[in-house]
Amino acid sequence: MVIGYRRVSKLVILFLVSEDNDGGSSRQGREKDWDSFQGDFRKQTHHYQQGGYELQPPHLLKDYGYMEKREVQRYQVRHTPYDVQHNKRGMKLHKEGCSDVTVWRGRKPLEREMENTQDETTGRWFKIIIPYGRKYEKTWLMDSIQSHCSVPFTPVEFHYVKNRAQFFVQDASAAYALKDISYKICDAENWKIAIFVSTSAVPYSVRDKLAPEEMEQLKLAMRKRYDVSQKALDLRSLLYDPGFAHLDIDIILNRRNCMAATLQVIKENFPELLSLNLRNNKLYQLDGLSDIIQMAPTVKILNLSKNELNSTWELDKIKGLKLEELWLEGNPLCDTFQSQLTYVSAIRKYFPNLSRLDGQDLPPQITTDIDKPDLTSPSIKESCERSDAMKKQVVQFLQQYYLIYDSGNRQSLLGAYHDEACFSLTIPYIPNNPAPSSLFEYFKDNRNMKNLLDPNLRFQLLKHTKHDIVSSLCVFPKTQHDLNSFLVDMWLQSEKMLCFCVHGVFKEVEGRSQGSVHAFTRTFITTPASDSSLCIMNDELFVREATLNETQRAVSIPVPTPSCSTGSTLSQEQQEMVQIFSIQSGMKPQWSQKCLEDNEWDYIKAAQVFATFKAQGKIPEEAFKQIS
Amino acid sequence: MGDKPIWEHIGSRFIQHYYQLFDNDRTQLGTVERTAIQGKAAIVEKLSSLPFQKIQHSITAQDHQPTPDSCILSMAVGQLKADEDPIMGFHQMFLLKNISDAWVCTNDMFRLALHNFR
Repeated sequence: MVIGYRRVSKLVILFLVSEDNDGGSSRQGREKDWDSFQGDFRKQTHHYQQGGYELQPPHLLKDYGYMEKREVQRYQVRHTPYDVQHNKRGMKLHKEGCSDVTVWRGRKPLEREMENTQDETTGRWFKIIIPYGRKYEKTWLMDSIQSHCSVPFTPVEFHYVKNRAQFFVQDASAAYALKDISYKICDAENWKIAIFVSTSAVPYSVRDKLAPEEMEQLKLAMRKRYDVSQKALDLRSLLYDPGFAHLDIDIILNRRNCMAATLQVIKENFPELLSLNLRNNKLYQLDGLSDIIQMAPTVKILNLSKNELNSTWELDKIKGLKLEELWLEGNPLCDTFQSQLTYVSAIRKYFPNLSRLDGQDLPPQITTDIDKPDLTSPSIKESCERSDAMKKQVVQFLQQYYLIYDSGNRQSLLGAYHDEACFSLTIPYIPNNPAPSSLFEYFKDNRNMKNLLDPNLRFQLLKHTKHDIVSSLCVFPKTQHDLNSFLVDMWLQSEKMLCFCVHGVFKEVEGRSQGSVHAFTRTFITTPASDSSLCIMNDELFVREATLNETQRAVSIPVPTPSCSTGSTLSQEQQEMVQIFSIQSGMKPQWSQKCLEDNEWDYIKAAQVFATFKAQGKIPEEAFKQIS
Repeated sequence: MGDKPIWEHIGSRFIQHYYQLFDNDRTQLGTVERTAIQGKAAIVEKLSSLPFQKIQHSITAQDHQPTPDSCILSMAVGQLKADEDPIMGFHQMFLLKNISDAWVCTNDMFRLALHNFR
């Protein structure tokens, strides 16, 4: 018996340890332990409850059925109306070799209790607990429960305690109905939600509810602090306010009953409230304030500075408010962020419309608004024709650049980069295959957004000044670029900027992956430099393994002239297409190319279009080659 | 997630938004401009009239850089599938600019790979 017990507690401890790790890994941790647990369970004759009972797959609940009754009988004596049971400090519980949870699953104890107390007043309160309720949003949770529950009820004092959510109901039939729907509601990930019901004392907020005269006093005092023109209510430092001293009550806003009363007054007297100042009121959590979404939904400016809020998760309780301005400075949570940017992003998660935080305007977020007027940027000249001079400049630039790049000493690239240039390297992330070994050399510099988890590392890999850039370029293995394979897309040209993309292949001529061919795409944003050359401002490189086709076409000896034709350049396949089309249709190559381009390089479609036009006589004479 | 520098934050949000719009309803891509085609209306028209009904993008890689004139250069590489065509690789570059309090794509370059990515 003793041995069995020890084994019990060990397994339980294992399980609980994984449970404590919050965040994404916890689910996996639980599942892993669940597998080992399952195995052991069959062997074990002892029954015990692990902390994660609410996550049991349904088929195992049956196994617990018989256990229920037994456990219930065991614990009848221990039953008390006020809970120690729901203590989540599992270690203590399980050391006692028992679990409270099963107690409440059987009908017996509750009924027994009801029998005992039938003589009492009907104002019996019940505490409803949703273990792990913390991960559910309040509105979703309550709506789900209300819709599943056969008896309508009014939840009182909803709040989160550690991992669970709880609230009170007054009605016994509601309590029963709620117990019935335990494990009936599925959440988004298909876990069944457990609901535990116990009797309880009157909730504090009800017990300490303000009497009507007190409410009246509160209302008058609040009226004095209300600015009609701004629709602003200033409730800062209420505790210390001499103005409230004459009242019989202490308006301590961190007490549930006071917050509830305050919100009630707001709802009745200041229905269009725009701005609420709760600064310096020793608020430790925002559970009480969460009702503001129903009571004062118009609030757009909220000041919670100089309180005792420990984590941004508190904001989750009020995120239904469409806040535009928020003050949070002076709360412990502000110190948990490494930088202003991380702080701002975290807050913005809850309030996407936020434009001012702690008195500072925030940079705007991305929107795509189709109602915006047409944007004109006078400095950008966009044209479909790339001038020959521009093309020449780019070709020359690329020739020089890759000459140095392939030379073995990339140090002289310093002259090509601007002082404040940026460079980054990306390699595709293939979830199922491990990194191809030939890309190994580049892997330590990979900064594919999807792949990197360590934000610090990510930042370091964006090389900023020209010196950093060139030193990292020098680290890359020696290469041989096949300029013959280059395709250049001229992307944007203006007085200040010239952007183009280069697609091509290169070979690694030394190192671990000698001989392997890679394909790359490199985007350059350049500005004209003093000596009519181009100065690189941004350099974004994407490297992947070359396909078989590309590898076959890559030559080892570079020919220095890349091809760059009007508009976009043609690939090998496209050139072949043009040739064949030209032969078959009898049109000159330029016309054939145009026809193919207009039909998105769909050969068959282009042929059909050509045939149609020809039949309609729409093609001019000069399109056709002279037949000599 | 909150630790990203701001251009990555904006860039990756834009890319996510863009491809979501593109895959679901191309007519909503109001503020995208391409170098070869000027004017919002013309662009939306062109995009809407591209000869496929259904399209799906899958992003393999993306990267973002700030430019000296406070724009953001964003790159997305991945695969797409249009109607019943085979899966093709594509590469797209965006230049995002901050105009009157919103980030807008002023330039966009799209290139389809005629052979598959690995």
